[in-house]
Amino acid sequence: MRVSMKWLREYIGINLGAEELAEVLTKGGIEVEGVEYLNKGFKDVYIGEVKEITSHPQADNLQICTVDTGSQEVTLVSGATNMLLGDRVPVAVPGTILPGGKVIEPAEFRGVLSQGMLCSDKELEIEGVGLDRSRGGILILNSDAPVGTRLEDYLGLDDWVLELELYPNRPDCLAMVNVAREVGTLLGIRPKVSKWAQGETPTWPQAQQKVEIDNPDLSLRYAALLVDNVKIMPSPLWMQNKLRAAGVRPINNIVDITNYCMLEMGQPLHAFDRDKLTGTVRVRLAKENEQIVTLDGMERKLDPDTLVITDDNGPVAIAGVMGGLDSEVTETTQRILFESAHFLGSSVRRTSRRLGLRSEASNRFEKGVNPHWAVSTLGRVAELLVELRAGEPVSFTEKVNNLPEAITIDVYLPKVNYILGTDYTEQEVRKVFDNLDFSYKEKSLGVLAVEIPSYRQDLKIEEDLIEEIARVIGYDRIPTTLAHGSQTQGRRTPEQAFRIKLRRSLIGAGMNEVLSYSFVKKEIDEIWGSKGGGIALLNPLREELGTMRTSLLPGLLEIAARNTSRRNTDLLLFEIGNVYLPKELPLRELPEEISKIAGIAQGGSKRHWHIPQVKHDFFYVKGILTEIAKESGVELEYRRTSNKKYDELLHPGRSAEIFLNDEYLGFIGEIYPQLDAELGLQRPIIFELDFALMFKHSSLEIIAKSYPRFPAIQRDLAVVVPEEIPAEGIKKRVYELGGDLLKEVEIFDVYQGESIPAGHKSLALTMRYQSGERTLKDEEVNTFNSNILAGIQQEFKAEWRK
Amino acid sequence: MREEIPKIKEETLSELQKVSSIEELQELKVRVMGKKGSLTSLLKQMGSLKPEERPQMGQIINDVRNDLEEAWEEKKIILEKEALNRRLDQERIDISLPGTPFPRGHQHPLSKVIEEIEDIFLGMGFMIAEGPEIETDYYNFEALNLPKDHPARDMQDTFFITEDILLRTQTSPVQVRTMEKIAPQLPVKIIAPGKVFRNDDDATHSPMFHQVEGLLVDKGVRMSDLKGLLLYFSRQMFGESREIRLRPSFFPFTEPSAEVDVSCMLCGGNGCRICKYTGWIEILGSGMVHPRVLEMGGYNPKEVTGFAFGIGVERIAMLKYGIEDMRLLFDNDLRFLEQF
Ligand SMILES: [Zn+2]
Repeated sequence: MRVSMKWLREYIGINLGAEELAEVLTKGGIEVEGVEYLNKGFKDVYIGEVKEITSHPQADNLQICTVDTGSQEVTLVSGATNMLLGDRVPVAVPGTILPGGKVIEPAEFRGVLSQGMLCSDKELEIEGVGLDRSRGGILILNSDAPVGTRLEDYLGLDDWVLELELYPNRPDCLAMVNVAREVGTLLGIRPKVSKWAQGETPTWPQAQQKVEIDNPDLSLRYAALLVDNVKIMPSPLWMQNKLRAAGVRPINNIVDITNYCMLEMGQPLHAFDRDKLTGTVRVRLAKENEQIVTLDGMERKLDPDTLVITDDNGPVAIAGVMGGLDSEVTETTQRILFESAHFLGSSVRRTSRRLGLRSEASNRFEKGVNPHWAVSTLGRVAELLVELRAGEPVSFTEKVNNLPEAITIDVYLPKVNYILGTDYTEQEVRKVFDNLDFSYKEKSLGVLAVEIPSYRQDLKIEEDLIEEIARVIGYDRIPTTLAHGSQTQGRRTPEQAFRIKLRRSLIGAGMNEVLSYSFVKKEIDEIWGSKGGGIALLNPLREELGTMRTSLLPGLLEIAARNTSRRNTDLLLFEIGNVYLPKELPLRELPEEISKIAGIAQGGSKRHWHIPQVKHDFFYVKGILTEIAKESGVELEYRRTSNKKYDELLHPGRSAEIFLNDEYLGFIGEIYPQLDAELGLQRPIIFELDFALMFKHSSLEIIAKSYPRFPAIQRDLAVVVPEEIPAEGIKKRVYELGGDLLKEVEIFDVYQGESIPAGHKSLALTMRYQSGERTLKDEEVNTFNSNILAGIQQEFKAEWRK
Repeated sequence: MREEIPKIKEETLSELQKVSSIEELQELKVRVMGKKGSLTSLLKQMGSLKPEERPQMGQIINDVRNDLEEAWEEKKIILEKEALNRRLDQERIDISLPGTPFPRGHQHPLSKVIEEIEDIFLGMGFMIAEGPEIETDYYNFEALNLPKDHPARDMQDTFFITEDILLRTQTSPVQVRTMEKIAPQLPVKIIAPGKVFRNDDDATHSPMFHQVEGLLVDKGVRMSDLKGLLLYFSRQMFGESREIRLRPSFFPFTEPSAEVDVSCMLCGGNGCRICKYTGWIEILGSGMVHPRVLEMGGYNPKEVTGFAFGIGVERIAMLKYGIEDMRLLFDNDLRFLEQF
C-alpha cells in the first residue's frame, strides 16, 4: 500500500516527516518497506505547447520544435518523434535542473541552437507515478495541462510516499482512512474521517434494476448505485495526482472515482456501462463452457468454480477480480451501475490463481474487505460524482445476507500483565483503547468489554487485544525476565549425540562437510538411488530440482564435479542427511526419511616438499571408514559387490558392499571407468552408508583394558599366494592358527612383480605374541610360527618366501 | 735414553698441534703410547738400566706420559667440540619451509551454526526435537492456525507433493508434533533445528534453508521471559554487548507476535551498510503461542501459556561470518568450505 503524506495529512495533522513517521509505524507493527520522494530531483521544468515541428536540415534523425512555454517561444532540437502539433510537453530551459543535478544549457545541434530540451518521463524519473502516456519518447501530458505551469507543481511531486508492507492480519490498512486511524492511534491524535468511514449509510430511491445473489455463501452482499447523465472527462488534477502517488493510473472521472474510493475506503468497486447490461444483475457460479473477455482484452475460459456477475446474456464480470470488456465505461457512456459488493476472499483467491489474473480488487478481497462499508463507500462515490459533476446518482438497490455481527471482547487486566510480564495500570490500558478509538465499558472488576469496530476484523480473541495493548504502549516497555518455571536439563538424545560424533570423526579424518539440496534431478537420482522410487514435487523450482532424493550421491557428485571444474580436484567430501523413501506412489502417507552418510574422494593429498603425495584411493577411504567404525564401536565387513545395481556404476574390481553384523550397511567403490569423465570427475571413490544401522550397532562406551607387563615378541612372515586369495582371509586364518598368545596380525607389505610367479602375490605379515603371565621364549614362538606357516601352506597353496 | 724422553715429549706435543681429527689423534696416541709406541718401547728398555736408576727413570717417563695424556685429553675435547660444531652446521635446515600438513576437514558453516545454537539452548535446559521434512498440510498449516485459503499462506511459497503432503515451509510443525507427544506433561521445552523449503531462489532466498524452532510451554510463561531468553541467546551468539528490540509482527500461530532485532554487531548500533544504517538487524520471529495452537497440541490455554520463536540459520551464519551472498552456502566450493 502506497501512502501519500499529502493525502494522509488531509485526515490527520502530523508534524513528523515521512522518515520519522515510517519509524513510528514500523515500531507499531506496520512495517514500512520504503520511503520515497516523488520528485527525483528535477526543478523548473515547464509545461509547453508544441507550435511547430520541422525536420532538421542537416540530420534526418533530429526534429526542430517551436514550443510555447507560456512566457516565451523556444526552439528545441529533439531526437524524439512522438510529439504532434498542439501536444502539451515538459520543457527544460536553460537553468532547469534534471535528476542527477544536470543543469540545462543552450546547445548547438548541427548548426541549430537548441534552447533547452523536451523531456521524457524517464529523464524526469517519474515513471513510478503512473504516467504512461510517453508514446515511447517525449512525455505527452493531458491536453488540459496548463501551459507555463511548472511540471513539478502540476503533478504534485512535492510529496512523500510510504510503502507499507502489510502483514496478512492488517488488510484494514489498505484503506487510507484506516491508515490515518493507525497513525492517530500510535501518535495519540484523533484523525478526521468522513461519516462514510464511520459506517454511515446513505439512502436513495429504490432502483428498478433487479439484483440477485445465487450463492450467498460466496457473496455476502451486492449493492448497486445507478447513475444517470454521466459526462465522461478527465478527473481533476488533485484526484489524478493522488491516484498517481498511490501508484494508480488516472483514466477518466468515473474510473478514477472508483479507484479513489477504493483507496480511501478499501472497498473495491466496479463501474458498468448500464446501457450495455440487459435484465437482472446476478451473482452466480459460472456454467461449463462460459467465457468472458476481461478489461485487459484477454479471453478467459470460466469454470463452475468461478464466481461471476451476469446479466441476462451471460457473464459481465469475474466477481472481485476484473470486469468484462463489453460493459466497460467508454467516452460515450451515459448511464452507470456502480457495483459495491462483498465476495468471499478464498473464492476470489482461487479464481485469481487459476486465471493467473491479479488486480487491486482481487488483492483486497483476498486479504479481507470490511463488508459493512460496501454501501457507505457508495455514499462517498455519490458525493464525488456530484462534486466532480460527473453524473447524477438516481437510485439504489441491494441484496444483502447476514453480515457478521459486531463483536465485543472482554479483556481481563491481570491477564494482560500475566501474559506480557508487564505491570500496566488500568488507566494505561484504557488509554490504549481511547487511542484506538474503541468503545469499552467496565463489565466487572478488572474486566473491560471492548467493542471491536467493523474495520478491525483481525481482532477476535482476548490475546489479539493484548497484542494491541502491547504494541500501542510499545514493545520496548515489556521488561526482560527469566522464566521461573520448571527447571530442566538439556541434553542430546543418544542418536543426536552419535550424529555429532560421526561428523566430528569424519572431519577429524580430513573430510569436508557439504550440504546439498534435498531435491535433485529425477534421472540422476534413479541412477544412484532407487529406480522409480523418488517422490516428485508438483511445483518444482526447476525441472532439475523436481524429485526428492533417494540417495545423497547425486548431490555429492554434482558438488564434486563443480569443484573439479574449478580446479579444486583434490577432494574429500561428505554429507550427512536424509533421503526420502515412499511406501507407495503416489504418496498417501508420509514417506520414510532415512538418514545417510555419503562421501566422495578424488585426487590426493596436497603436494608437499617434504612428504610424498597420498592418493585418495579406495584404501584411503576404506581407512577413513575403518577409523570411524572403530570410533563408533562397530566392525565393518567388506564383500565384493554382487549386486546388479552397481553394474557399470562402480568398478567391479574396486568396489565392495559393506556389512555390519550381516546387515547391509552400504557400499564403497571407484566410479566405473569413463563414467567418471562423463560426470566431470577424475576416478573418484564414493561411499554411502546407512546412519540408523550404524547407530543401532554403535557403542560409544569405552572400556579401558590394561596392557600386559611382559615383553611382546614380534615375528615377520612372507608368503607367496595365488593373487585371487583375499588378504583378509589369510590374515584371519593366521590369527586362528596362532593360538591365544597371538595378539595382533598386520599385513605390512603386498608385492607383485619380479621374482614372484605370474598370478601370484607376496604378502608380508607381522605377528605379535604376548602373554599376560610370563615372558615368552623364542622357541615356543618359533613353534607357533611354524604351525602358522604349515597351516596356510596347506590351505592357500602358499609358499614361504624366505 | 734420558735424552730421548724430552725429545719424544716435544715431538709428540708439536705433532699434537697439527692433529685435526679424532682419528689422527688416536693414531698419534698409538704411535707414542701403543704397544709398539715410542714411549712404550722406552719403558721396555728399562730392564737394561741399573736397578737404582730405574725408579727415577720410571718417574720421568710416567710424568711425561701424564703430561701427554693431559694434552691429548685437551686436544680431544677441542676436536670433539669442533666436530659437533661442524655437525650442527651441516644439519642446519631452512626453517622457513612449510611444516608437514596433516589432513583436517572442515564443518559446513550451517551445521556449525546449528550446533552452536543447539549448545546455547541445551545449556538453558532445552531438548532437541526433530520432525519430518516432508509434512502434512495439517501440521505445516492447519494445526498452526492457518486454515486452507488463509491469506497468510501466501507468505510462504510451498512445494507440494500432493494436495495434502508438502515440503515443510517452516520448522513450526515440530511444535505441534512435540506437544502432542508430551501433553499433558509440563514443561515442553524444545528447540527443533532442520531443513525447510520454499519455492524461491535469489541472492537472499534459497529454495532450501534452515531454521531452528524454539518452544516453551509451561505454567506462567510470559512474553517478558521470551525477551529475556532471546537477549541471552543474542549475547551468547553475537557478543555480550548486544541489545535486542522487539517489533510487533504477525504469525498466525503466535499472539502477540514479535520480530526480533539485534543491535548491529558490525557497527555496534551506529549504523552501517550491513544494518542498512538503522543500527538493528532482524534475526528472528517470535511470539506467545496462540491459544488455538496450544489447544491443538493438547493443552488448555487457560492453564498454560507458552512462547515460540524461529531462528533463520542462514541469516545468522551470514552475519556471523560476513557472508553476503546466500548462494555461497549451497555452492560448496572447497575454497569457501576450508575457511570454517
Ligand atoms: Zn551496522
